[in-house]
Amino acid sequence: MARYLLNRLLTTIPVIFIVLMLTFTLGFYAPGDPIVLIYNENLSNMTPEDLERLRNQYGLNRPYWEQYVDYMGKVLRGDLGVSIATKLPVTQMIRQALPISVTLGLAAGAVLILLGIPLGVLAAMRHNSWVDYTIVGTSMVFRTIPVFVLGPMLMIVLILQLKLLDVPLGWKGLFHQQTILPIALLAAAPLADVIRQTRVAVLEVLSHDYVRTAQAKGLKTWVIITSHVLRNALLPVVTSLGLIVNALIHGSVFIDRIFTLGGFGEVVINSIKLLDIPVILGTTIFSTLLVIVANLLVDLVYPFIDPRVRL
Amino acid sequence: MTTTGLGDPSVARRLDAALPPSQIKVRNLWRDAFNRLIRNRLSMMGLFVTLFFVALAITGPSLAPYSYQQQSLRRANEMPSREHLLGTDDLGRDFLSRLMWGAQTAMLVATVVTGIAAVLGVVLGGIAAYRGGWVDWIVGRLVDVTQSIPTIMLAILVDATLQKSVTNLFKQMYTSTGLEVFKGSLVINYLVTMSAIAFVTWPTYARLIRSQILSIREREYVEAARSVGASSGRILMRHIVPNALGPIIVAATFGFSSAMILEASLSYLGLGIQPPAASWGGMINDNMFQWRVRPYLVMLPALVLAVATLAINFLGDGLNDALNPRSRVSSGPK
Repeated sequence: MARYLLNRLLTTIPVIFIVLMLTFTLGFYAPGDPIVLIYNENLSNMTPEDLERLRNQYGLNRPYWEQYVDYMGKVLRGDLGVSIATKLPVTQMIRQALPISVTLGLAAGAVLILLGIPLGVLAAMRHNSWVDYTIVGTSMVFRTIPVFVLGPMLMIVLILQLKLLDVPLGWKGLFHQQTILPIALLAAAPLADVIRQTRVAVLEVLSHDYVRTAQAKGLKTWVIITSHVLRNALLPVVTSLGLIVNALIHGSVFIDRIFTLGGFGEVVINSIKLLDIPVILGTTIFSTLLVIVANLLVDLVYPFIDPRVRL
Repeated sequence: MTTTGLGDPSVARRLDAALPPSQIKVRNLWRDAFNRLIRNRLSMMGLFVTLFFVALAITGPSLAPYSYQQQSLRRANEMPSREHLLGTDDLGRDFLSRLMWGAQTAMLVATVVTGIAAVLGVVLGGIAAYRGGWVDWIVGRLVDVTQSIPTIMLAILVDATLQKSVTNLFKQMYTSTGLEVFKGSLVINYLVTMSAIAFVTWPTYARLIRSQILSIREREYVEAARSVGASSGRILMRHIVPNALGPIIVAATFGFSSAMILEASLSYLGLGIQPPAASWGGMINDNMFQWRVRPYLVMLPALVLAVATLAINFLGDGLNDALNPRSRVSSGPK
């Protein structure tokens, strides 16, 4: 057990190092002298010697490898650099925006569980019928169409045509009517994954002997589903946590662009507008770590929730 | 899914004997796959819609009534009329024409990206599978890394950093050489967008090729071929390539639609294809500010993009069923 955990951790470390190397290299060779960018306003009363001194002071004259190691140390200590546009530390910008995105993400996660799992079970129970085809087909359509296409479409239909909602701009807390659309859109893409995982898992479990035994002794269908099938079928759904986190990050970027919610995506969007490379780098690293941690978590927790997995 | 009756060799022989040699039906992999494909209604629909968009991409620019960048501020924000079938946008550009040019952008970028990414993936994945050892390890880690960074974030990062450097490079080249080639910002823009998308999509192909080669290499027929002394080149060309081709074609079809979506996504976010060039994603972004007043300016590019991506994915599903009948999972409506 301990060996497995250690092994899993050890394989993650090189991936993180190479991710950091990739982002560092892209940032290193990106144009724009950091000093010029940082001291933009005071540039006119600076001599080339001043610039050189500052460059030395910030350690920007050192070779690539030295700077990479330095950068790695900084990232590990939670320092993702300073934004060129706002002059704020990137970590602080992310921390300020994160509560909104996390709230939305958790809400979308709840929708995924409350909607995805029952639909997946239903599709499996009505295997190869029109119910199955409709559920799987519709969810695949929502997965294929990008958020920034689906979002405006839904806004036009729900707000302009059906007049069901108000203009959903800005963040007014989780339980505001304006939050419905962002959560729905956030959940739309990964919903298909949850449905598919549940469906396949339920179909697999249904073919097992213990389900037949349960049926034979006359248990009601819903008892079989809740107490026998679901417990075993939920395991593969847990595995897709990494996928879901990935989809939520992806969704956040576009949702914040459409609804200006001020979440994580908004930090990314603003940095794109100004080509604020440190922020783009920082947010990329942050989201990557999030996905890696989610995947790691799944692998570490899985043996505990599924005793059949022997290590 | 065998062709009725013809699957039985004895029936086939009897039929062959009865027919003049010119009419004997030759069955081969591709014809069988084609027969399976045309029986799938949803993917045939996908095929026709895809072909329509391909035709539009090729002929659109010459058929379009106006140029994608021809502005006329006096005629801005017009409703559909005889002259402008779908009206004009806020800069007075003919909307229908821009939609048609947008097809070219979408298809061009997706085609080039799929080409680059597939070649890159096939070469790297192939080398990894054949050389093994540390080469395999390095390619494997590269794939891991690019796949562990959320796709859109990596695409944004690569696009943003490349955009700046390549523009600077071209500027320098232009001032030092004076060649016209280095002047056009449009060329740079397309190049950067394509390479950014190819950069994030190649691992899918590399991973696929690697696993295909590793599994096909262990099959009995390859072992048989090796035991009768076939050279490794012959095994590669006669056994591995034809067997791996099906999955690659399917992956390339899905890759095509995801490249199209990535281009639209980047353009929507203000990276990617820059205005005035017409991109569906960019058009959604450009007209979003007046979605309440003139919703169809947002709705149309959104619909076109949705239809195009769905059609290609339906085609991909059909191709998967047709080319890889054994790997078929009963996952969706047929």
